[in-house]
Amino acid sequence: MNKILKIQNLTKNFGNVSAVSNISIEVEEGTIHSIIGPNGAGKSTFFNMISGVIPPSDGYVYYKDKDITGFESYKLPHMGIAKCFQITNVFPKLTVKENVWASIFSCSHKSKIDLFKSMNDFEAIDKETKKIVSDVGLSHKIDDKAEELSHGQQRMLEMAITLGAKPDLLLLDEPTQGLAPEATVEMTELIRQLSKKYTILLIEHKMHIVMEISKIITVLNFGEKIEEGSPNKIKNSKKVQDAYLGRK
Amino acid sequence: MIQNKYSFIALIIFLFVGPFLFPNATITEMLIFGIVAISTNIMLGYTGMLSFGQALFFGTSAYISGLMLLGGFPLFLAIPVATLGSFIISLFVGYFCVKREGLYFICLTFAFNQMFYFIAYVWTEVTGGEDGLVGVERPTYIDSQLTFYIFTAIMFLLAVLALYKIVTSPLGLIFKLIRENASRAEAIGYNVRYYKLISFSIASTFTGLAGSLYVLIHSMVPIDQIHWLKSGDIIFMTLFGGVGSFLGPLIGVVGYIWLSDTFSIIWARWPLIMGVIFAIVVLYFRGGMSELLENLFKKYKAISRKTEHEQDIKNTKLN
Repeated sequence: MNKILKIQNLTKNFGNVSAVSNISIEVEEGTIHSIIGPNGAGKSTFFNMISGVIPPSDGYVYYKDKDITGFESYKLPHMGIAKCFQITNVFPKLTVKENVWASIFSCSHKSKIDLFKSMNDFEAIDKETKKIVSDVGLSHKIDDKAEELSHGQQRMLEMAITLGAKPDLLLLDEPTQGLAPEATVEMTELIRQLSKKYTILLIEHKMHIVMEISKIITVLNFGEKIEEGSPNKIKNSKKVQDAYLGRK
Repeated sequence: MIQNKYSFIALIIFLFVGPFLFPNATITEMLIFGIVAISTNIMLGYTGMLSFGQALFFGTSAYISGLMLLGGFPLFLAIPVATLGSFIISLFVGYFCVKREGLYFICLTFAFNQMFYFIAYVWTEVTGGEDGLVGVERPTYIDSQLTFYIFTAIMFLLAVLALYKIVTSPLGLIFKLIRENASRAEAIGYNVRYYKLISFSIASTFTGLAGSLYVLIHSMVPIDQIHWLKSGDIIFMTLFGGVGSFLGPLIGVVGYIWLSDTFSIIWARWPLIMGVIFAIVVLYFRGGMSELLENLFKKYKAISRKTEHEQDIKNTKLN
């Protein structure tokens, strides 16, 4: 199997405090690779370094064998990496259609002249927008403003925006956070469906979801990698149990 | 879309009726500041960037245009050169300003504005210093007030159409994305700083175009046209009209110039009244006069629909 993402010795220091220390992982193409760990384990910092939000202090990130360490976050969608945020992060005063349309346009417009054309000149983007909105079950809300949607619907819209970039690699940061049980089931099913098309790097707190859908799980604690392997291996790992129970 | 159609029809009517409602110099000034306010709204209302430095571009362009006309260059060269000058300066100033956000962005625009003001103030041989640049004459073909008004109205319409084309294009949508959620816009692939610079440059270039026309109204460039207080006036006019709609700022310009003209004759302390009006608008009509008018229009439509409905019921009963 191809390794789509290779992370080598990634480290982030804030002054004398090391938030992430020497973490290396490899993500196989076409799989769901999850990152878990107790609160303060360094998951979000690790994720933010991969997605270009914060530069690492040391180490490398390779995507399809290209060094993308410290790349600005706006460059990543153009390379095929899209990110779904932990906190619902949409464009509230814009319609569902505009939210998704803008995301597709970002990665599909060919020249600067396209910026000045009429919005009606992009039939293919309109079609693609409708398809993605339908895929996440928001067709009936396509002309509603994002701020008028329920929290669960906004999470789905967030996912639709992410998919608009037509990525090869999806970075999902706790996509089920704050969702009601029924919406969590829907989101889990959506992630499962997406894994057939995309490689997914997932950060998730809800263990039953991680165990259910991941192929490989990496466990972090106090900024270090303590275990990696299949869900079964992680379930039975004493190190992981100790970390979650706070035992040394 | 329908609302925009009505707004544009109202605009065309205004251009024809305007000279009968206001003195020629006043209506011409309204159109010139209309370009300024509508273009400033691209930056303020659409992209969410508040600049206190727009007088820099307005004044500088007025000086360039005035100096070229004094030097014997034709108007049709002076206007594009002055506008281009604003564009180039906006790229330089904007490059530094968009590196910062919020309060720091405002402070930088303010600082650049005052820098240019002091250059104009001390460089008396070129700008006329405190006395301003005087003696600029209009070309003979726009010598009369009416022909000058027609010329300004055409320039205004062309500017408005160009700006409308921008806000209805994908670029306009990108500006709105930045206003709504800059970090998300970055995450979906837009270089936010680059697009902020574009927005800043568009607003400043069109403000420059307006400045190049302004010199023709009174045949001079007063130094206060490049002072930061003028930048404050531009923000006032834009907010007063309303940043929520494309043509809203024009209502603000018309209201502001008409009120200041009227009050300044009645009472020497007229800015006090303007301050009170501004406070009321900000406190109670956040969407400015355009939103107020829109709400009144909606209410009127709702009432007339209700009356029609009641009439229908009455007719049905009678039958």
